[in-house]
Amino acid sequence: MFNYRTLVSTITVMAFLAVWEFAPRAGIVDATFTSQPTRVVAAGLEIIRTAGFLHDVSVSLSEFALGFTLAIAVGVPLGLVLGRFPVLRYVLDPPIMAIYATPHLALLPIIVVWLGIGMQSKIAVAFVSGVIPILVNAMAGVRGVDGSWIVAARSFSAREWDVFVKVILPASLPSVILGIRLGLSRAVLGVVVAEMYQSQAGVGNEIMRYGSEFRTDYLLFDVLLVSLFGLTATSAVRALEERLWTAGE
Amino acid sequence: MKTAPALVGITSFAVILLVWESAVRFGFINPFFVSEPSAIALSLSRAARSGELWHNVTVSLREFAIGYGLSVVIGVLAGALAGRFRTVEYALDPFLWFLYSAPLIAFYPIFVLWFGLGVPTVIAMTFLLSVTQIATSTLKGIQSVNPGLLRAARSFGATDRDLLWKVVLPATVPMMTAGLRLGIGRALMGVVVGELFGATAGLGYSISYYGALLKTTDMIASLIVVVVLGVLCTQGLTAVEERFDSWRTF
Repeated sequence: MFNYRTLVSTITVMAFLAVWEFAPRAGIVDATFTSQPTRVVAAGLEIIRTAGFLHDVSVSLSEFALGFTLAIAVGVPLGLVLGRFPVLRYVLDPPIMAIYATPHLALLPIIVVWLGIGMQSKIAVAFVSGVIPILVNAMAGVRGVDGSWIVAARSFSAREWDVFVKVILPASLPSVILGIRLGLSRAVLGVVVAEMYQSQAGVGNEIMRYGSEFRTDYLLFDVLLVSLFGLTATSAVRALEERLWTAGE
Repeated sequence: MKTAPALVGITSFAVILLVWESAVRFGFINPFFVSEPSAIALSLSRAARSGELWHNVTVSLREFAIGYGLSVVIGVLAGALAGRFRTVEYALDPFLWFLYSAPLIAFYPIFVLWFGLGVPTVIAMTFLLSVTQIATSTLKGIQSVNPGLLRAARSFGATDRDLLWKVVLPATVPMMTAGLRLGIGRALMGVVVGELFGATAGLGYSISYYGALLKTTDMIASLIVVVVLGVLCTQGLTAVEERFDSWRTF
C-alpha cells in the first residue's frame, strides 16, 4: 500500500529523470549542456576508477575535517562563555553580527592572499564558514537557559563551575548541536567553493576543471557526490539531535 | 538602558579600528596582508570620487534586485500553490529538499556553459540560492494556519476571499517574511560568489580583481562595502519582520 505522498514524489522525480534522459535524445536540447542521467552514472563509474579521484576526495575530506573540528573547538567554548558573560557579549556581539550578515564566501580572496592556494586556505574557509553558526547558536543556547534553574542550583550552594557544568552545559546542548548541524553544511560548501576558486587539488578543483572542459556529466557526478556527503553528515547530526531531545525529556 | 549595548557596540568597533591602525603603524603587523583603516578609508573615497564604487555597487545591486525579485515572485507562488494543493507540495518536495541541501554554487560552471560569463550567470546563481528558502518558508507559513480557525471562519459564513485575507495571510506572513530575510542573505551570497568567479564588474568582481593583484587595501575596501550592504539589508528586513509580527495570531 503506497501512501499518496511517496507516490506523487516518486512520479515527479521519475518524470524529471525521464525528461532529462529523453529530451537530448529527441534533439530538443543539447546533451553537452544538460547531460543525461545515464551519462552521469557512466561518468561516475569512470571517475571512481581514475587515479586522481581518491587523492582529490581525501584532500577535500581532510580540509573539511580539520577546518570543521577547529570551528567546533573554538565556536562552542567561545559561544558558551559569551552567552554566560553579558559584558563580553556586548563587546563582541557587533563584530560577530557583522560577520554573520556578510556572505562569508566573500572572504575567499583575502584568505587566499593570507594563506596561499594550498590546503591551509581551504581549512581556514571551512573554519570561518562553520564557526559563526556554531558560536551564535551556542550563545543563544546559554541565554535560553531557564534562570530559575541557575538560582535553584546556587541556593543548593553550587559554585559557578558547577552551575556551568551541571546546568548550563546540558541545557544548552540541543542548541549547540543545532549550530553544529548548520555549520556543517556551510563548511562543506566552503571547502568546495574555496577549491573551485583557487586550488591545486580536491573535489572543487575537479568540478572547475570538468566545467572548463565542458564535461557536464563528470561535473554533475562530483556535485552529486558532494551533495550526498553533505546530506549524510547532516542527517547523522540530526539523528543525534533527536536522540538528545528525547533523552532530555 | 537600551542605548548601552549600542554604545558598547560602537566602542567595540572603534577599538578594533584603533588596534588595527596602531598595530600596523608600530610595525607589529605587515600592512601588505591586512592593510590599515586609514588607507582603506582613502581607497574608499578615491573609489567613490572616480565613480568606480557606484558602478560596482549598482551592478551588484541590479543583479541582486533581479535575482532576488525573481525568487520572491516564484518562491512565494510555488510555496503558496504547495500550501494550497497537497499534490503540488508532494511533487515539489524532493526538488526543494535537494536544492536546499546541495552545494548549489558548484553548479556555477554549468551556468557559465548555459548563460556565458557575466550578469545572467550571476542572476541565475542569486535566484537559485534564495528561491528554495522563500518557497519553503511560505509553505511552512501556510501550513501553520490553524485549521480550527478556518473552520470557525467558514461556519460564520466567510467566503474564500475573507479566509485568505483574514485567516490565512495573517498566519502566513510572519513566517514568510522570516524566509524573505534569510533569502536576502543567500541572494547576497549568490551575487558576491557569482561575481568572484566570473564577471566584469560588481563588488565581488572587484574583491577578486584586487585580490589577484595583491592590492589588499582596495580588496578590503570592497569587502567592507559588502559587509555594510549585508548588514543594511538584514536590518531592513528585520524591521519589516517586526512590523508584521503583530499579525501573528498565536
